[in-house]
Amino acid sequence: MNSAQITIQIIVTLVAIACAIPGTFLVLRKMSLISDAISHSILLGIVIGFFIVEDTSSPLLIFLAALAGVVTVILVEFIQKTGLVKEDTAIGLVFPALFSIGVILISKNANDVHLDIDSVMVGDLSLAPFDPLLINCQEGIADSCVNLGPKAIWVVGIILIITLTLLFAFFKELKVSTFDAGLAAALGFSPVIMHYGLMTVSSITIVGAFDAVGPILVVALMIAPAATAYLFTKDLKKMLLLSCFFGVIASIAGFWLAYIIDASISGSMTTVLAVLFLLVYEPIITSVVVSFLTGVGIIFYQWYTFLMAQGIELDKMLLGKKIQTVFSEFIFLDYFYIFVMTSIFSATLIYILPKRGLIYGYYKVRQQKTEIMLLVFLLHIRNHTEESERHVKHLNEHINWQRLRSQSIVALAEKNNMITVTDQIISLTEKGDDFTEKAIDYIITNKDTEIEEMKDDFFLFRG
Amino acid sequence: MLGTAILGAICGMLGSFAVLRKQSLLGDAISHAALPGIAIAFLITGVKDSNLFLLGALISGLIGTFWIRSITKNTHLKSDTALGLTLSLFFGFGMLLLTFIQKQPNASQAGLDTYLFGQAATLLAKDVWLIAIVAGIALLILLVFWKEFKILLFDEDYTKTLGFNTRFIDILITTFIVITIVLGLQTVGVILMSAMLLAPAAAARQWTNSLEIMVILAAIFGAFSGVVGTGISTVVGNLSTGPVIVLVASGIVLLSFIFSPKRGLLFREIRFRKNRNNIKMQKTLAFMYEIAKTHEHISHPHAIKILNDFQGFSKRSLQELVDLSYVQINGQQWSMTQKGFTTAANLYNQQIEDTHE
Repeated sequence: MNSAQITIQIIVTLVAIACAIPGTFLVLRKMSLISDAISHSILLGIVIGFFIVEDTSSPLLIFLAALAGVVTVILVEFIQKTGLVKEDTAIGLVFPALFSIGVILISKNANDVHLDIDSVMVGDLSLAPFDPLLINCQEGIADSCVNLGPKAIWVVGIILIITLTLLFAFFKELKVSTFDAGLAAALGFSPVIMHYGLMTVSSITIVGAFDAVGPILVVALMIAPAATAYLFTKDLKKMLLLSCFFGVIASIAGFWLAYIIDASISGSMTTVLAVLFLLVYEPIITSVVVSFLTGVGIIFYQWYTFLMAQGIELDKMLLGKKIQTVFSEFIFLDYFYIFVMTSIFSATLIYILPKRGLIYGYYKVRQQKTEIMLLVFLLHIRNHTEESERHVKHLNEHINWQRLRSQSIVALAEKNNMITVTDQIISLTEKGDDFTEKAIDYIITNKDTEIEEMKDDFFLFRG
Repeated sequence: MLGTAILGAICGMLGSFAVLRKQSLLGDAISHAALPGIAIAFLITGVKDSNLFLLGALISGLIGTFWIRSITKNTHLKSDTALGLTLSLFFGFGMLLLTFIQKQPNASQAGLDTYLFGQAATLLAKDVWLIAIVAGIALLILLVFWKEFKILLFDEDYTKTLGFNTRFIDILITTFIVITIVLGLQTVGVILMSAMLLAPAAAARQWTNSLEIMVILAAIFGAFSGVVGTGISTVVGNLSTGPVIVLVASGIVLLSFIFSPKRGLLFREIRFRKNRNNIKMQKTLAFMYEIAKTHEHISHPHAIKILNDFQGFSKRSLQELVDLSYVQINGQQWSMTQKGFTTAANLYNQQIEDTHE
């Protein structure tokens, strides 16, 4: 690794953490799309700032851009408060308008200067290490500046420090106002201030990261790690930590992916984020697809280099043509086992994963089904005192179960000492009676967790 | 110009459904999600054919839509997160592919990114025809399935119990929204597409409560902003068409928000003031009634000063009472007329009736 690579990795890590923290709160507050809106409308701030100072590196630009972000939020809130449209519509109305004004201003006035939409809307990380922060420059004297290292590190670093400070200072307040705005107001800290504080921080973060990774990818870095973490945990602290973790992983992996395939860093960071999310969300399909694609990629690359070595001018061809050429020379069976092995390996790995794997899920659903059936059965027995209704064979007709199933339920209930069967007539034991009564209580009051305790009480499914 | 007009109309039409189904930002998400499709279509074929791009964009847009659907259905993530995820992740992947394409040795890849920002000027007669045909089909389907669409919008469960295949209708309308978005990409670009879908519908919503009229109005607004936007951008040089169209549409929304007779902010404010004055006046009248009741003769004069204790009193409301000949004023004294007395008595009864209703 050379120093530029290390610098970029430091920057992406900082950006990822700085984005993940406000992103977590945005996701929890159901305001993810505000980040998208802000990231577009700050263009207007940048353009106006540029017209004022005619300098793309002025801090005024950052300030105005952040201001434009906050203005967006205020406008959205205002439109929403009028009650004429829903929040998402309000967002969809505000940011395209602001963005359009920005684009028109650029195309109208800035043709002769170095400011076009592409350079604003698509950041380039690979240049970041070569854009140093210079201070103490004296007019006319070359090399008089003190070089403080890459500017992006400073910008993002400062934003991160501010974010972290605010997070630690107001963690409690943020937590309460996120989950229960009413309670927060009752406790005396204004949810409005928290809301706008969070919006300001998000806005500043987006502006800071904007330079480095481009607006859409800031949105990705804000939402995707938080969403992935949210699938894992419902604990706020864990979610924050996990989303930082995912962000950092994706950033560094993304950097190396970009390095390998020679493409944009932010694009590959997002791709890694997407893969991470999919791995958590749909583990089996994703792992199979990813391993399959990797397998194809490796094989393709081997054949590619092999054909190149034979002097076929593959590198001048289009990808589509290349694929055709490579695969026309390609004997599939030779590599078939790689596919199979990678697919099977990752699939089995995911299948047996506790709590998330498919087998576990299937088992759990079945278990819950059985529990409900047992409950229905016990309720039925409890409600009928006459013997004809409690005959074993009678159950099939009455609860509409197939014979085999009813037998297994009866067996389960018997095993749990909830019923006794004498002469094919079922009667509840004391324990069964107790259980059913509690179950009715549970159904009526619908208190959570009680059924779990009940299972512990009666050793259900434990023989 | 014809192209943008038709596009605006179809956007408005279908946008109405998106807005009413609370999927307003679907347009934004889909238009971003279309990017990798375009890139992949180019990667595989290497031809810069707009129909092919449309196909690619359509496929990846649809994948994006169903991804959003399945995320919101299967996890506790909310729809905004799902939209944001799709939007940013697809777009990021698209960017990756685009930069990858740019590194490819053959040079014909230039111009792929016009899809990002859109240029109505590049519309060919062929594209206009395509848009027109799609618009025609969309209109036809809309008319055929009107009943189903309408009922699905307002009561999904009821639709299900009626035996309609909600899934099919849902997929149908989503597909058409995606097709429209993809078509619009070339004209107004990725970022502004969502506004095209949203703004006419949001504006039309302010003028009516009927779906039929809303759809028609939205189509008119869309077409209008298409025509005017394109017109402005051709007359004033150096303006990209997409943003102008969006601004025109936003202007219409703003006007609708302010001036629409039933929901508009202006009339609401006027109504609000009127009600407040009315209440003030009624309060004064009721107060006077209470005083007048205690005297033998209702027209017994009282000093205006008495009213000072009472907050509902103002010179204007007093004058209004005089105008309605509920009250007579002689110098610093006021006295109630018979008419005022009966009205006040009835007013009180009426209020009691109102609260009991």
